[in-house]
Amino acid sequence: MSNNNATDFISRKQELPLNDDSSSLFLQIMISISVFIFAITLAGVLSINSMLRNWNDSILGSLTVQIMPVNSSDRDKAAADTLENQKKVIEYLESVAEIEKVTPLSDEQLEKLIQPWLGDGIEIGNLPVPRLIDVKIKKGETLDFGVLAENLAQVSPLASIDNHKLWLNKLIRFADGLKMLALSILFLVILVTSGAIFYSTQTSLGLHRYIIEILHTMGAKDAYIAQQYARRTGWLALVGGVIGVVLSIPTIFLIASLAEQIEGGIISGAHLSAESWVTILILPLFAVMIAMFTAYYTVKRTLEKMI
Amino acid sequence: MQKNESKSNNAIIVMQNVGIRYGQGPEVLSDISLSLPRGSFHFLTGRSGAGKTSLLSMMYLAQKPSRGIVQVFGRNINFTNRDSLSLLRRKIGVVFQDFRLLEHLSAFDNVALPLRICGMNEREVKKRVTELLQWVELDRNMYAKTSTLSGGEKQRTAIARAVINRPDLLLADEPTGNVDNDIAPKLMKLFVELNKLGTTVVIATHSEKLITDFAFPRLHLQNHGLKVYEPYDFTGINIGNRLEKGGRP
Repeated sequence: MSNNNATDFISRKQELPLNDDSSSLFLQIMISISVFIFAITLAGVLSINSMLRNWNDSILGSLTVQIMPVNSSDRDKAAADTLENQKKVIEYLESVAEIEKVTPLSDEQLEKLIQPWLGDGIEIGNLPVPRLIDVKIKKGETLDFGVLAENLAQVSPLASIDNHKLWLNKLIRFADGLKMLALSILFLVILVTSGAIFYSTQTSLGLHRYIIEILHTMGAKDAYIAQQYARRTGWLALVGGVIGVVLSIPTIFLIASLAEQIEGGIISGAHLSAESWVTILILPLFAVMIAMFTAYYTVKRTLEKMI
Repeated sequence: MQKNESKSNNAIIVMQNVGIRYGQGPEVLSDISLSLPRGSFHFLTGRSGAGKTSLLSMMYLAQKPSRGIVQVFGRNINFTNRDSLSLLRRKIGVVFQDFRLLEHLSAFDNVALPLRICGMNEREVKKRVTELLQWVELDRNMYAKTSTLSGGEKQRTAIARAVINRPDLLLADEPTGNVDNDIAPKLMKLFVELNKLGTTVVIATHSEKLITDFAFPRLHLQNHGLKVYEPYDFTGINIGNRLEKGGRP
């Protein structure tokens, strides 16, 4: 098609006066709201994904070795024995090839950990508190926890391993549940939007039946009419989609800032990458595709039954 | 038999024992059998309610028969899919009694419709539409919305739209009913010229003047059936004593 023809095609008045349909405004508002909800929910799904990735990277790549305090009436001897056990365990752990770093938690760090339960001013040496060792595993290495636990038991019968699996599994299950919920919302949004487009298109077809019959008489195929509907609905979806996305951006930032205020650092790993933002920003195009597809096939199917 | 087959191959429209009924009502048309040879010109007559519009709508493929066989351009319309029917319709020009123009469009866009539906490029569309609108003396109102045109102007627009694609079959329902006396012969001349170029023409009319002025055979609907009369045979219509005696106008 030459430039002139393309201009003529765009500027010429459409046979079906779809711009005058009263349902157009409704559809545009509906699509704006849908894209707004979709963008926020999608941001939630992408954040949960990034959070899960962070947990996997930072937690599954580490483990904690716990050394129970030696039980003795002589408190100083018990503390010294416990530290002696810790030293042996550290030496063993440092000899394991897959382990990158071994860091025993200091008294101050231990005090900080039990502070929420026992309050300020605790003397850690006076309490039978287990010693903790943070172990970082080399990236890409897999460690057999069963073998490690057996070897540790030989080094010190007081040592045990916590690889965070129990509570991490619970968190992952919770995050997966949230993700499924969000995906269901996304599915429902698509379903409701497609439904609205379907009924609005059907209403419009009934309204313009007279014109459609004339076009048919002149040899217009159903596809010719369906294309006009697809173009119009696609345009409505583009404008509605852009409005929805623009409104969703400050809302996402607001929710993110509220989430960061939650203590515990669990949500802190939930941030949107550049790819995630691109996915959100191209949502209007996704809306256009769904709108055009739904309108096109609604027209094709309805006309087959109607005329 | 062979002769019949070759006749049928040459025919634009063939109907065999066709009946049309709406819902559970009685048949509007019964046992209609006809064959319209390529390049023929027929008037279609009959009283109001005789079924002229139903017969025409079957010819322009807007309706399928309740029974019987209808072949248009050699295709049995009962066994032709929607897209193929659309392609057949592109070879047919129709002038409706109530014009059926798209009121939100200009005369130009209305006349351009059949060409655009066929996918013709806009330069060619502009050239052909402008030329034809000049010929039917609508060039001054070319870009006026059809809702602002007079009855005669609307009718000329409808006729221009029907003939713009140089159809193989032209069906017209009272095409000169609303035009001035001086433009009616001009439009009929256009139909006759198209016919000479090979277009098969069927004109439904009540106009005695038209039937007497032009020597074409007549399809006459009466009592739900159809009879074909030769030119100048005015049986069944009231056009004055002189003509009823069979004399030439």
